[in-house]
Amino acid sequence: MKTKKAEAKKLWDELRENISKRPSPFAGMTEEEVIKQLRKTRKKLWEKKLAPRT
Amino acid sequence: MRLVLDANEYIFALGFAKKESCESLFKLLIDNFPSHPISVCRTIVEEVRTNLIPKEFQNFIKFINIISTIDEDFSIPFEIGFKYEAIGLKEADALIAAYTEWVGADVLVTENRHFLKHNPVLPFKVLTSEKCLRII
Repeated sequence: MKTKKAEAKKLWDELRENISKRPSPFAGMTEEEVIKQLRKTRKKLWEKKLAPRT
Repeated sequence: MRLVLDANEYIFALGFAKKESCESLFKLLIDNFPSHPISVCRTIVEEVRTNLIPKEFQNFIKFINIISTIDEDFSIPFEIGFKYEAIGLKEADALIAAYTEWVGADVLVTENRHFLKHNPVLPFKVLTSEKCLRII
């Protein structure tokens, strides 16, 4: 379990470090704007998921 | 205490946008792994994916597979989703709510106020990362 935790921590820290090195798609946005943007993404993915069924 | 973390929690905690409480929550959950089981469904993973480059997504999946297992959306009973649509949640939000109920999670952690306003009628708690940090 200790190894799993260490591995998870390592992956998480690496991910955060890599992401910090490139421009954020949310740069300059307020928290509310980020959430709004994420809601748009959710809606788009949902429509894409439902499209083959209609 | 079983948790479902909405996609916005991962996005903030990964540092795409600054929100200290989200970062602290993930740090605490990882440091105390596996004290607080985390459930994650495909929709949440796909939403996070849209912001990651392939190599990062690969590592994200590795991370998720350590702390949890990904549940497929089709496993979530439709009737639970309809129940949440009926109380006014949008379809995709209803799916997340249905998933939270279906896995028997105690808390849905989200910064999305559309969930927060339905809080009193849901069978699980809806908390922001800041409030979640106070109770775990």
